[in-house]
Amino acid sequence: MSRKRKYFFGTLGIIVLGVICVYWYINHPHPRYEKLRPDFTLTSKALFDEFKSNGKASALKYNGKMVEIKGTISKIEASDTLVTIVFAFSQGLFGDEGIRCAMLSKFNESTRLLKEGNTVDLKGLCQGYNETDVILEKCSLVK
Amino acid sequence: MKRLAFIVLIVFFGFQVQAQKYLTKNGMISLYSKTPFETIEAQNNQVNCALDIKTSDFVFMVLMKSFEFKRALMQEHFNENYIESDKYPDARFKGKVTNLKSVDLKKEGIYPVTVEGDLTIHGITRHITNIGSFEIKGGTINGKSRFTLKVEDYGIKVPSAVTDKIAESIQIDVNVMLNPL
Repeated sequence: MSRKRKYFFGTLGIIVLGVICVYWYINHPHPRYEKLRPDFTLTSKALFDEFKSNGKASALKYNGKMVEIKGTISKIEASDTLVTIVFAFSQGLFGDEGIRCAMLSKFNESTRLLKEGNTVDLKGLCQGYNETDVILEKCSLVK
Repeated sequence: MKRLAFIVLIVFFGFQVQAQKYLTKNGMISLYSKTPFETIEAQNNQVNCALDIKTSDFVFMVLMKSFEFKRALMQEHFNENYIESDKYPDARFKGKVTNLKSVDLKKEGIYPVTVEGDLTIHGITRHITNIGSFEIKGGTINGKSRFTLKVEDYGIKVPSAVTDKIAESIQIDVNVMLNPL
């Protein structure tokens, strides 16, 4: 192969690689949340109490992090597309206050089989505290 | 005895009236921005919303990190560069439905409503007035509204490199199914 050809294919390869990298950077998918390791593991009550007693510090600690919690289910709310496990610990102006865990759709069916009073171990992305509930999203059942 | 029964009835029905709150914790708000170069859509279905029919108070509480974008990169930029959701984790609206008296909660139908109050996004509060509708059906209130917000009104800085990709005004769609508490 002549030197010119080598340069041509070398440059072409670098350009193609660059285009692939930029494309991946722009279009990279959301993580597979159920595969992520939890940053924190604690009981549902401990997580709620921490947010309730110090919302700002807890937000800095937990928001955007994967949190694994274990607790007793108070309620399961299900619509066509969204299944939410609720851990309720107190009553406020707007009803139950606690932790609301929106499940990943692939766990909707297995979550629907659970019942109030069951103990469950799940992990999800902590999105914050809205002054009534701690919100976990992209949740998956661990056990 | 009759007097006691009367007092009990008054207390009971008085309490019933005071307890007339409608709420949801799974309300939906979506964002939509379209320019010739980019269409941006995001949805949040973890919206807290409450309506007190006695006082006409109407409140929303939205966690910004709960907005879900199709592209992960857009979601990262939204949270880290524009909304700064670690610094300003939520958006709030506190106001009133100014014409709630014209809504007959006992009669099914679609009623136009006007909502007025203070909207806080990105740490900046602005007084807004928007129109929408309440659909009364099966004892629930389905509140809907579509309006636009100017990005610059809320101190959201868009780098010049991407100004042609983000519309100056973002379309907001609200859809909340309020159930009696």
